[in-house]
Amino acid sequence: MKFWEIGKRNLKEIYRNPVLLGFLLGMPLAFMLVFCAAAGGGQASPIAMSIVDEDHSQTSSAFIQNLGGIEAIELNEPIYSEKSQAQEDLEDGRISLYLFIPSGFEEATQAQQAINLELAYKEADPMIGLQLKPIIEAVGSEFLGVVPPLNVELKGTESKIKNMAVNFYFPGIAIFGLMILVSTAAEIIAGDREKGFLARMFTTPARPWDFILGYSLPFIPVLIISTLIYLGVGMALGLTVVGNLGHAFLIFFLIGLCSIGIGMIVGSLVKSESQAGVSWLFIVPIAMISGAWFSVERMPSAIKSVAGALPFIHAIDASRAVLNGSSFSAIILDIYWIVGWAVVLFAVGIVLFRRTMVS
Amino acid sequence: MNAVQTFKLTKRFDGLVAVNGVDLEINKGELFSLLGPNGAGKTTTIRMLCCLLKPTRGTASVLGYDVVKTPFAVKKLIGVSPQDTILSERLNCWENLALIGKVHGLSYDEVARRSKELLETMGLMERSKDQVRKFSGGMKRRLSIAMALVSDPQVLFLDEPTLGLDPQARRTIWEYIAALKGKKTILLTTHYMEEADFLSDRIGIIDEGRVVALGTSQELKTNLFEMRSMVVTAENITAEVIADLQSKYSRLEMAKGRLKIYHKDLDFKGIVDYLHSRGVTVHSAALEQPTLEDVFIQITGKKLRD
Repeated sequence: MKFWEIGKRNLKEIYRNPVLLGFLLGMPLAFMLVFCAAAGGGQASPIAMSIVDEDHSQTSSAFIQNLGGIEAIELNEPIYSEKSQAQEDLEDGRISLYLFIPSGFEEATQAQQAINLELAYKEADPMIGLQLKPIIEAVGSEFLGVVPPLNVELKGTESKIKNMAVNFYFPGIAIFGLMILVSTAAEIIAGDREKGFLARMFTTPARPWDFILGYSLPFIPVLIISTLIYLGVGMALGLTVVGNLGHAFLIFFLIGLCSIGIGMIVGSLVKSESQAGVSWLFIVPIAMISGAWFSVERMPSAIKSVAGALPFIHAIDASRAVLNGSSFSAIILDIYWIVGWAVVLFAVGIVLFRRTMVS
Repeated sequence: MNAVQTFKLTKRFDGLVAVNGVDLEINKGELFSLLGPNGAGKTTTIRMLCCLLKPTRGTASVLGYDVVKTPFAVKKLIGVSPQDTILSERLNCWENLALIGKVHGLSYDEVARRSKELLETMGLMERSKDQVRKFSGGMKRRLSIAMALVSDPQVLFLDEPTLGLDPQARRTIWEYIAALKGKKTILLTTHYMEEADFLSDRIGIIDEGRVVALGTSQELKTNLFEMRSMVVTAENITAEVIADLQSKYSRLEMAKGRLKIYHKDLDFKGIVDYLHSRGVTVHSAALEQPTLEDVFIQITGKKLRD
């Protein structure tokens, strides 16, 4: 268990270094405090939303009632019966967004078929619509799961989401925070290389995976504590966890492993601690295109493809979905994708590390 | 079987030949020094022997194991104290020693026993629980050597073990190294001739990547250094006298009333008489034994610290 000895050494080097430890654990706290405060804490105003009901059925009315029960949404009166009227009002700026319930909604519900709702919003303010989209999807999923539709009642599940902004921002911010492990892990390896400590260790009979595991190990408690801080501060400042908190934790943990894996690769490639700073050149762009701060829906398809190939967007989407009530089976493909990336990143890290052991 | 053997060992870096066809045979239990100025290729040679650098050409083996083909086997047998004192700064002595010992596969009890012995031997027991970042350069160097020894290696590589230390700390390290003579095979690099002279069974003088002389200290001095030298401390030495001496003898060094004259057949009495005859006040005059520095200058034409 040589990796264990190397890991213990690195853990001691971290927790005995108050500046580094303060950065690693204090940063998530400060980060989440600032962003949740910026997102309105627990007192955000509800978003005014109009409805176009072309179905005019009991089911559509019940669904609208459900939506009206959510604190974060304020339904505008009256309910439109024609889409063109609502579109005109939207274009004229009289309303900010509307939800279109097409005719055939009740029939589709009874037949348990997929229903496509349309959420139209002002081009100038896409965030409103994007923030509402997952909430409405969560309400819709819950609603459509109830048969027969006449039995629909306000269950209050949806109204648990007190602050949509916090629920929207939280996953992205938390995952961006965990991406900081990339640079920290890379800097620690590069620092040891620069000081010659790694060269000294390379003269011992330790294998490349001993080093990769040994340098990753100390970040596991950091990752767990950081995630707990994110979740704790987020919930204290208005994050509503409708789904399974454990599933959300798992997603954050796995994406944290990916960040550490990238850090191992960068640390294997760079020669000095200052060079490890190069990791920021891709951390910020990746966070941006992965939807950490805003949705990727309106990005060019090429960028969306790049983001989709990476693990971060999957983690952000999956954690948003889980926090808003999605089941584990709904995010399983995202989980597989993230786990796959973690395995590949660590394997590449070991291969690169092997190359650096003899120059 | 030799403990360390190299054959035409060569390392090039982007056109620069750092080590150029070095052939070495170091016997088991021998303390062998590579003596040479900075940049001579000492550290590069050690790095190849420790499996940190791949030779461009040639071969090297440690206790019969090829450093390129079987690096893992080599690493199990060696202990290394690098040129820069490289420790885990926020760990204490015990923890630093345990790290190296356990990575070498020693049990907890073995590590504890070896660490205790080494900390006592190296005079570090009192501060053994302090983080090593608070240590002096000499203490760090002693711990670095202890770390190289904790796995009880058969071959020990000490790269400039006293570099940058004050004379007293240097002397202390010498005593620790001297105590290991005969028990371990040691390859030591240094650019301090006194160090090589004091410690080594044999010395290899290395310059510009080549081993230019090899032998015991005495062999190097007697076989390679043909000239004798005498030192005169005197007053009233004129430029004319100096010019005259320079024309007669092989080499002359003059500094602050101290005159050093080198020549194959040195006429001690003749020189003193000549100085008196030219009005020079001679305070003292003595014949000197050649030093390794003299040998180095003789072979390479430059000083060790150049």
